[in-house]
Amino acid sequence: MLKVTNLKKRFGGLVALQGVDLEVPKGGILGIIGMNGSGKTTLLNCINGIYTPDEGRIELGGQEIGGRQVHDVARLGVGRTFQVPRIFRHLSLLDNLDVAQQQAGRSVDERYAQSEYWLHKVELHRLRHNYAEELSGGQQKLVELARIMVARPKVVLLDEPFAGVNPALAQLLISVIRELPTEHDCSVVLVSHDLTSIYQLSHHIIVMNEGAILSQGDADHVRADPRVVEAYLGA
Amino acid sequence: MTGLLIQGLINGLILGAIYGLIGVGLNVVFGVLRVVNFAHGEFLVLGAYFAFYLMEYAGINPLVALPLAFAAFFLAGYLLYFVLIPRLSKADDPEISSLLLMFGVSIMLGALMLLAFDADARSLPYEIEPVFLKFGPVLIPTVRLLALAIALAIIAALTVFLYRTQLGRALRAIIMNRDAVRIVGINVERLSAVAFGLGVGLAAASGVLVAMVFPAFSPFMGNDYTLIGFIVIVLGGLGHPVGALVGALLFGVTEQVSVVFFSPSIATICGFALMVATIFIRPSGLFGRQALR
Amino acid sequence: MSSSPALAAGAASHRAQDLRAVRLRTRIAVTLFAALAAGLAVIPMATSNISFAFYLMLWITMASAMNICVGFTGYLPFGYVVFYGVGSYATGICYKIMGWPILPSLLAAGGVGVAIALLLAPTLRLRGVYFGIVSLALATIVKLVISDLPQSFTGGSMGIILSSANNPTHSYYAMLLVMGATLATVTWLSVSRLGRALKAIRDDDGAAACVGIHVPNTRLKAWLLAALFPALAGGIEAWYTNVVDPEYAFNVLITAKSIIYAMAGGFGTILGPVVGTLALLGIDHMIWQKFPVVNLLLLGLIIVLLMLFLPRGIVGSLLKRKPQLRRYIA
Repeated sequence: MLKVTNLKKRFGGLVALQGVDLEVPKGGILGIIGMNGSGKTTLLNCINGIYTPDEGRIELGGQEIGGRQVHDVARLGVGRTFQVPRIFRHLSLLDNLDVAQQQAGRSVDERYAQSEYWLHKVELHRLRHNYAEELSGGQQKLVELARIMVARPKVVLLDEPFAGVNPALAQLLISVIRELPTEHDCSVVLVSHDLTSIYQLSHHIIVMNEGAILSQGDADHVRADPRVVEAYLGA
Repeated sequence: MTGLLIQGLINGLILGAIYGLIGVGLNVVFGVLRVVNFAHGEFLVLGAYFAFYLMEYAGINPLVALPLAFAAFFLAGYLLYFVLIPRLSKADDPEISSLLLMFGVSIMLGALMLLAFDADARSLPYEIEPVFLKFGPVLIPTVRLLALAIALAIIAALTVFLYRTQLGRALRAIIMNRDAVRIVGINVERLSAVAFGLGVGLAAASGVLVAMVFPAFSPFMGNDYTLIGFIVIVLGGLGHPVGALVGALLFGVTEQVSVVFFSPSIATICGFALMVATIFIRPSGLFGRQALR
Repeated sequence: MSSSPALAAGAASHRAQDLRAVRLRTRIAVTLFAALAAGLAVIPMATSNISFAFYLMLWITMASAMNICVGFTGYLPFGYVVFYGVGSYATGICYKIMGWPILPSLLAAGGVGVAIALLLAPTLRLRGVYFGIVSLALATIVKLVISDLPQSFTGGSMGIILSSANNPTHSYYAMLLVMGATLATVTWLSVSRLGRALKAIRDDDGAAACVGIHVPNTRLKAWLLAALFPALAGGIEAWYTNVVDPEYAFNVLITAKSIIYAMAGGFGTILGPVVGTLALLGIDHMIWQKFPVVNLLLLGLIIVLLMLFLPRGIVGSLLKRKPQLRRYIA
């Protein structure tokens, strides 16, 4: 579904991405782990259009999306959440979700039905009229996830979805994310420091270090890889 | 023609230096506090009146009035900070809120000056012997040269302060990262008040120079000077006193050279157009390191 | 996506409930606006002193249109007066210099306002303070350019006198019409997708792009709308007072008052600017009658006090204290 080839990005003298290759199959969940500064967020930013890559290709379902504008990439089916949730503070939850359905051809009722469905999914339906700023940080993360899902994306990029979320909400998040490929036809790229969740959810894991892929494989492989242990876990 | 051109250039440099001082004052406040001091121009005009009345009633020379004005207004600014600014940090959008707040202050100050001093334009009757100095084909009023020297001296002193003293370095640290400084244990509130006082004091000092150099001043000219100050910041880039100076010189020269060829209003247009062009071509200014946000 | 029949039924009743909530808010706003308009409509029949009412309508228009920029999109245009000024001048020039009848001259005002807005559209890329300052600089440039144009075209510093057009009653009703159109537009914005998208942009334009909103285009639409009404207002005011004058038409106080009247009520709601204008214009009128000299000082003081103690305005602060009132206030 999503294919990244030889992605390079530098900022002045700093090389953030050294030539990254990855692939997320349809229905797959890709976990990305790595130290702070390893390039994970830069990678996500390149994929959803916030940065333009210096070199390399990014393909969504075969279509080249690298270097396109953010709103185009979003409309083509890429959703993105952020480490610090960027919800629309002065809009109600319902409006937050309504405004995210910018694809043409959806009636008011369809949009409403989608909003309702996802608010129920993240168990925030009773707060649907509240302004987003009134919610706790963990709740806001759930809203952010619901907001990208109402657009029926093909792939979602989740940046630290579990950061700062209490265990109960984290459990809900995990169960929602796990269903995305099977129930909603959506592939997932998951960046996180929460190794437990990454191991639980991911079909495939990439370990990044200093802008390049240090190791990849399934959970067992990565856990056992001595390079990963040394670089990441600091053994 | 060349004589006029050279005259324009020199006038531009002189005025530019003064504009630079105006910009530097604004820069300190905006950089440290992220407060847009829309009343900067009014403090400047108040400084001019300060010098005027000192001369009128106490016979004090503006060269002496200048440091007095700086001290008095620094203190006023320091105190005013605590009245006005701390509440702003709770606002939804502190930058815009500060803009509107200081806009209100600027209207109040303008109205107060109008009530206190009448709408008539005043001039500072300061004479120096010899009135003109001659450099080749060019005549320059001595007062202007003096103002140039003073402006440059103040900017130099400020640069030394910001880069060589502990207090100045702390201020620069705040410009770079306000929250980090707080964590380190520095009293950000007091430092901010110092910065605000500094900005207001510099405004008043610029006002004294303006009174010396320009033929007249009146209560409502404040707006024009505030705008000039912002243009200078935009041209020179945020947080960079030398940058502000260079930007100001560029602006001053553009304006004064345009006056030679066109009318005063076209000269102003040229100056403003320069600023607009800079914002689009080089948003961080000629020297700034941060892009404008 | 699967949903059980129970869920669907529940959804239907929620939908009805939510729709009713929005309708309630909108109905309240529309009723209040209609009552205001009706009240204003009968004033010329009751008295010949229509000046206060005329300016009330003018400032409600200016404040509401300013709200489109600030409350809906998040911009603070310090050169806002440029639309008003070119509207005034367009009307003056079309009527006096080119000899058009008054109605096309007013329409020209609107057209020129939108044209200038298009010309200034590249500035929308800027943010916050920098947008404000560039806006002010550009407005000053326009003002200087106009005063430098040949006197035969723009009347120079003396301005233009419209003389034969003068008709206070007709211009009063024209202003009423424009105010009505402005209020209708902001009411529409408060329920429309465009309005929601604008508010999203105001809250976080990066995130708005990430959910697929075309930020520059959306902003442009709001910008053009926000320019149309002050331009028309400027034209009508020229008709009403008979005079187009460069010092007044491009005066920074026009921008200031538009911002303050809107702010006093609160940006971000459509009732706010109306409430703020009513409150402040009323106070201004009373003070001006008794203390003309301190008028300006009090204006400045009110701004300072508002920003320090009531930064969200009357309506905004009320909503912050009692969020349940959001059901009734659009």
